[in-house]
Amino acid sequence: MRRALYLMGGGTLSRKQNTLCLEREGAKRYVPVEQVLEIHVFGEVEFNKRLLEFLSQHEIMVHIYSYHGWYMGTFYPREHNNSGYLLLQQVVHYLDAEKRLDLARRFVFGAIQNLLHVLRYYQRRGKALEDILTALEGQLGRVHSQQGIEQLMQVEGQAREAYYRAFDRILEDPDFEFEERTRRPPRNRMNALLSFGNSLLYTAVLSEIYRTHLDPRIGFLHATNFRRFALNLDVAEVFKPILVDRTVLSLVQKRQIQARHFDEALGGLYLKEEGRRRFLEAWEERLGTTLHHRGLKRHVSYRTLIRLELYKLEKHLLGDREYRPFRTRW
Amino acid sequence: MYVIMVYDVAVERVVKILKVGRKYLTWVQNSVLEGDLTRAQFERLKAEVREVIDESEDSVLFYLLRSTDWLERQNLGVRKGEPKWML
Repeated sequence: MRRALYLMGGGTLSRKQNTLCLEREGAKRYVPVEQVLEIHVFGEVEFNKRLLEFLSQHEIMVHIYSYHGWYMGTFYPREHNNSGYLLLQQVVHYLDAEKRLDLARRFVFGAIQNLLHVLRYYQRRGKALEDILTALEGQLGRVHSQQGIEQLMQVEGQAREAYYRAFDRILEDPDFEFEERTRRPPRNRMNALLSFGNSLLYTAVLSEIYRTHLDPRIGFLHATNFRRFALNLDVAEVFKPILVDRTVLSLVQKRQIQARHFDEALGGLYLKEEGRRRFLEAWEERLGTTLHHRGLKRHVSYRTLIRLELYKLEKHLLGDREYRPFRTRW
Repeated sequence: MYVIMVYDVAVERVVKILKVGRKYLTWVQNSVLEGDLTRAQFERLKAEVREVIDESEDSVLFYLLRSTDWLERQNLGVRKGEPKWML
């Protein structure tokens, strides 16, 4: 099974003996190229064109993060799954206001459903969240009557705002008070964790998109613009609650990540190396967790589930079957 | 599935077989590599190994485990290598 390789420290990554080799302080460490799914670079790693060529041959993406853990960009190897017809359909669904709104609504609907699911899980564990659940249900009911992308985003924003109010009640940990959502920079630890987790989810979805025929530049809820990938942001909305938020909450609850794992910089708070490692371990474990898929009648990992979600989207675009966002049932 | 590959080949082919093994598995110590592969990857690894060995003289063993749940690796002395995904 292929899996992600994380480069936390510095060194030189190169092609050696037809596989990957990381050289650090004179010590060589070989990584079996056949087992690598994607590479996440956090450290000061050097590499050359020969390596990128080799990675392209093996269809391995490279995601780059800044010193503070912000997502900076991706080496997106040459496309190998091309379908002119699907691309056209993707464009049609973007340009046709009705079709685009319909898809955007589905993403928001799926996202809020999963937010609800996470909160119900904590409610069953004795947290008083009744009022917040009611507020979220209200927002869920409003999704289908929204007539524009802007309004739809507002509904989602309000749902998330209500949802985040539950975090302090769930954690009851003064070190990890949520207060409000802040980004660039994250002003407290909780926000730093969420931002870090979200970037990881965006890259995970992007990697899966690469393995389908979809074009990551054309999103539906998130507008297509000149800057970056948009489709991965859409699909990530559906998975954020179950993958990112649950990872963050459980890391804090189990005290696997503590106040000492953070550093202050650039007017915000960031995870230090040790904290980042712990987060990434938990993240990999979550992506690898398997659950029973009713349609396929077998167990699939969350990583595979993301890809299945993309196939569902392909079917929607091709007019085979309407897209219904993934919904957890644990 | 989890694969442990052990080889005993003539000196002149030691480097060749190591080179093939490293594409698929992680080097653990001299003549031993291990890692998680799919069936297809394992078949390709075997095909590549066959290309370099002399089947009348060399010996390559594969131990296959359906999952690592039943695997316990105990170590005495120096740790030379192990599969790692966070470097």
